[in-house]
Amino acid sequence: MSYVVAVDIGGTFTDLVAYDYDARRAIYTKSPTTYENFVDGILECFEKANISPDKTKFLNHGTTLVINSLIQRRGSNAALITTKGFRDVLEIARGNRPDPFDLHYRRDAPVIPRQMRFEVQERIGSHGEIVIPLDVLALRELASSLRTKHVDSIAVFFMNSYANAVHELEAANVLRDLLPGVYVTTSTELTREWYEYERSSTVAANAFVGPQVNTYIRRLEKDLSDKGFCGSLFMMGSNGGLLSVERTCRQPIALVESGPIGGCIGAGAYAEALGLKNLIAFDMGGTTAKCALVENGQFTVESTYYVGGYTNGFPIRSPVIDIVEVGSGGGSIAWLDGQNRLHVGPQSAGSTPGPVCYGRGGDKATVTDANLILGRLNPERFLGGELTLDQAGASEAIRKISAPLGFSGADATVQMANGILSIATVIMAGAIKQISVQHGLDPRDFALFSYGGGGPLHASALARELSIPTVIIPPEPGNFSAVGMLLADARIDLAEVYSANLDASAVDCCAEIFARLEDEARIALEHEFGAAEIFFDRRAEMRYVGQRHNIKVPISGLKDDTQIRSAFENDYERRYGHADKRAQVEFQTAHLSAFARQRRPDLSHLPRPQEPFTAPLYRKVYFEVGAYPLETAVYNRTSLPPGFIATGPALIEEYGSTTVVWPGDSFEIGSLYEIRVTVKGAQS
Amino acid sequence: MIEANQRVKADSVDAISLEVIRHGLISITNQIDANIKRTAFSPYIYEYNDFAVGLTDPDGQLVAQCTGGMPPFVADSVGMAVRDGLQIYGRDRLHHGDVVLCNHAAVQGQHLNNTVMYTPVFGGVDQSLLIGFFAINVHWIDIGGSVPRSTDIFMEGLQLRTIKLWSKGEPIEEVYRIIENNSRMPTELMGDISAQLAGCLLGRDLTRDLASRYGTATFFKAIEIILDQSEAAARAIIRAMPDGVYVAETYLDNDRTSDNPLLIRVKVIIVDDEMTVDYTEIADQVAGPINSGYFGGGQTTARVAFKYLLGADEMANEGTFRPLKLVLPKGKILSAEPTAPMGNYSTPFPTVIDVVVRALENALPDRVPGGHFATHSGVRFHGRRPDGSFFDSHDSGHGGWGGCATHDGSGPFRTMAHGDTRIIPLELQEASLPMRIEEFTLREDSCGAGKFRGGLGFRKKYKILQSCLLQTNLDRTKFPPWGVQGGRAALPGRFILERAGEPARDISKEKGITLQAGDVVCVETGGGGGYGLPRDRSLELIQSDLDAGYISVECAKRDYEISLGLDGKVRRVSEI
Repeated sequence: MSYVVAVDIGGTFTDLVAYDYDARRAIYTKSPTTYENFVDGILECFEKANISPDKTKFLNHGTTLVINSLIQRRGSNAALITTKGFRDVLEIARGNRPDPFDLHYRRDAPVIPRQMRFEVQERIGSHGEIVIPLDVLALRELASSLRTKHVDSIAVFFMNSYANAVHELEAANVLRDLLPGVYVTTSTELTREWYEYERSSTVAANAFVGPQVNTYIRRLEKDLSDKGFCGSLFMMGSNGGLLSVERTCRQPIALVESGPIGGCIGAGAYAEALGLKNLIAFDMGGTTAKCALVENGQFTVESTYYVGGYTNGFPIRSPVIDIVEVGSGGGSIAWLDGQNRLHVGPQSAGSTPGPVCYGRGGDKATVTDANLILGRLNPERFLGGELTLDQAGASEAIRKISAPLGFSGADATVQMANGILSIATVIMAGAIKQISVQHGLDPRDFALFSYGGGGPLHASALARELSIPTVIIPPEPGNFSAVGMLLADARIDLAEVYSANLDASAVDCCAEIFARLEDEARIALEHEFGAAEIFFDRRAEMRYVGQRHNIKVPISGLKDDTQIRSAFENDYERRYGHADKRAQVEFQTAHLSAFARQRRPDLSHLPRPQEPFTAPLYRKVYFEVGAYPLETAVYNRTSLPPGFIATGPALIEEYGSTTVVWPGDSFEIGSLYEIRVTVKGAQS
Repeated sequence: MIEANQRVKADSVDAISLEVIRHGLISITNQIDANIKRTAFSPYIYEYNDFAVGLTDPDGQLVAQCTGGMPPFVADSVGMAVRDGLQIYGRDRLHHGDVVLCNHAAVQGQHLNNTVMYTPVFGGVDQSLLIGFFAINVHWIDIGGSVPRSTDIFMEGLQLRTIKLWSKGEPIEEVYRIIENNSRMPTELMGDISAQLAGCLLGRDLTRDLASRYGTATFFKAIEIILDQSEAAARAIIRAMPDGVYVAETYLDNDRTSDNPLLIRVKVIIVDDEMTVDYTEIADQVAGPINSGYFGGGQTTARVAFKYLLGADEMANEGTFRPLKLVLPKGKILSAEPTAPMGNYSTPFPTVIDVVVRALENALPDRVPGGHFATHSGVRFHGRRPDGSFFDSHDSGHGGWGGCATHDGSGPFRTMAHGDTRIIPLELQEASLPMRIEEFTLREDSCGAGKFRGGLGFRKKYKILQSCLLQTNLDRTKFPPWGVQGGRAALPGRFILERAGEPARDISKEKGITLQAGDVVCVETGGGGGYGLPRDRSLELIQSDLDAGYISVECAKRDYEISLGLDGKVRRVSEI
């Protein structure tokens, strides 16, 4: 027997999905996340699933360790070493106030305080020339004083190092030499893009989490190998690919969105298997909803990510799948402001106390309570019957806010519950619009691929709002993030600033840069992942001369400047509605993504074992049309075979999730056991 | 679809539809906001956010606007233009597919770059009912003129008073030609105009779709309720403020043509749930180009200050501003004649806004912070690169903000007249301009002392690698940011030219000097004023300021009456 195992550590549960290559079946299990030592929760899962670590060939692992450490500011005693005159770059940041009318606005404090930021004499010019050589003597003195300060981690950032990293490398060598055991990281090891604040912020964050992540991974390796594990451990990177342990230890910052990324990869894998070019991956959990786009089979990867959000947080330059998140989840609280205006979220009841209906002390109406009142959740079968939901409590909480709004009579709570869901829908639709319409894409050209505990409940309402004709619910929507991690390829992203007007010679230069980056990536992938099929994706960040914002254009396979220009113009026109045929175009940055294909389980074997078909039960469910409930068929998902077709209204229940099919819509079980809902109102 | 069954007697729009319409309106303006930012050619738009997107009702009253954008635009920069159009054309002569431009000083009262473009939105069964205007104000990159040397508005460029750019869906090419041939940067400008136009038309269609989904009757009623609710929310906040007459003042350095300080004196009157901002005693119109008109200057600054006092949560629309009254005689620096020079119209804004806020120091001690550095602190380098190409770089200083009742002041940020405006990366500057930045640090000791000290300004040194021209615009050098509740004033900003073989000299207000290779321009920005008595500052905070080097030992000894032990720990002098 041999397994590939994916483990996703979430806030409440540690999810494990294993695929048994011999028996060709998947095993699902979860156990409470163990905060004292996360490794215990993982081992607990292995035990529960009865999987022996020594039979595990690959373990793919996603964790929120990095983001939690950064947000809670629980990291190492780190120092920053930088160019003389620039130690405050990290603190001055970009000097903007995203919340313009807050008189008391302040940004979150930098992860490395001022007294731990040190300057040395050196200077690189903007063309990479050495203006002032590195003062190695002073650096050595600094190193010995850092030893007395018990620094366990050092970030090195120099001005213009994107153009020439020689001083950063030299400094790192000196420091590693003099301070063995201290974690040393340089800005250009992490990103070769320009913008000093973003680069210094990135390397500071990396230094801050470095020692902790290294300790965690070494411990995980040891504990697993004590249990006989001798396979390969890979970490889930924010760029949507697997990372080697070696690379993770150097660039722990690459794990910043390690958790939610799994679902996106899963969505991409299903899109490929189902022959869908464009889809919107939509993930709704307890506190937030997240969405990302797959366009022509690929995710958009952004190179700037804000830790703690744009308003108060700090950026890191690390490739992260472009995910838009809104504070709208099952636990989102419905509330009235001073003018009796109804809001839903962003405050959430979370998992404790949770929605009122959980009966754990929550007393504020939530989205989940509204779903229960409308009959969309089964009070007896929630989480497979592990929790019985309190309908009376939910009803009472909703009545509390419906009365001031003037809703009265027998169906006041139903109207209010409908209203809560309408507003949640509008907010979530806003996130999807942000990621699609604002990039010049039309959501109607996409299928809505929905997962997470709440995704299947809300997907059809959302599809109506956005005029999306097709909704797809994959198997195991509640565990989908872990499922996705099972399906990931290895990936490395490299970028290099290359600023030049687009012409034939620039295209040659650019090709040389890409060839060099490809060599570098190939060597790294082969070293880290062994022999595998390796493939590349080249993208160029380009713009019209005079502009300051770039678009990233896929240019793999394009031969000359005419083809590249027309790719740029097509992309530009699609996004912005116009393109200038005369204006000069310039290159800004070369982005290479390199992939090493991993063995992937057959998707048709992922669902849990089928049960014989059972006729649906019926119960009354409220939909927005009319104030009266409709007699609605309730199916057990594991009993529905591929090819099964039925019409709405219907509910399809499974462990951890319920799919809502609206009146007038129809659904079909697809070849990979996915539910495919055809949204009638949205067909235009 | 909700409409059919969820009517509540008290309103004609049920609470749910109302919320969905409210979200819909904000989402439309935000969506167009994002589109403009991405499609614009000029950095004024995508870097400085120097634009605003708004929807007005059929009378030109602001209903919704994008949540980003610069504070002065939040005060309704589009409604004035629409109302001028309604006056000139009347509703009958504004058709579907018309697109109108206005930047006129008599209407907007700001510099001529701020150009509003709008288009009527028609809805209803046969699409003939006027339901509003979709409007976008964009800072046009260049519209001719000779600011900052101008002495009247006619030296500042092309004025367009309510001119149709499109008529019934057809472009008027003559107007395009006039614009294109009156700008130094026609390519960028025409690019921005097409972005502005695309935004107007898309916004119009999205608004029409939203209205038709609910029916125009419901849509109108929803707008009425939205405005009323915003008004009620604003009144509730004012009602909680103590009634009284509150006064504050400071001075601007001068008007750039003489050296006389300009009085900025403001009276704020709170009675029950209304607030009056009285600018009667503010300086008169001046000869230099820092004037603005009644709406673009007086009303705008009063509304921005009002919004700061109200807080960030409430969206701003015409309803929000109903409880705000303005007293402003003609001929003041904020209500200048339409012929007055206005090229740097917003120069007084940060100070004026801050003085209005300061007036309520004792009425709202929990809300009003120490003064902020309050000046644009602009430096503009222009000239030719070694390859002969032209460059024109506007940079600005970011300074400290005041301490407040709960924590130290923050920053460096841009002024109260700016918002989400980001510093230009130094590496980008060095790569595109003949200069090297030698230092970019927090300016030690620039903060005002207090129980909660102000924020720090910064120091930025530009080493000039090749001869070029410099213009600067720094104010408040003589009247530094004040402290409140016993807090002390901060250091003002200063710009210094360091040239080999010459004594350093002040260059705060240069209309154009030639820099030589090797010159160093040192920009030091002001800090923020302190909050509360310095002696009430905790030793822990003083210690951590010293550890971080935000303040020097001398400064700590002077301001906080402490001494430093051999162990480096601070103690109160009185306790030794």
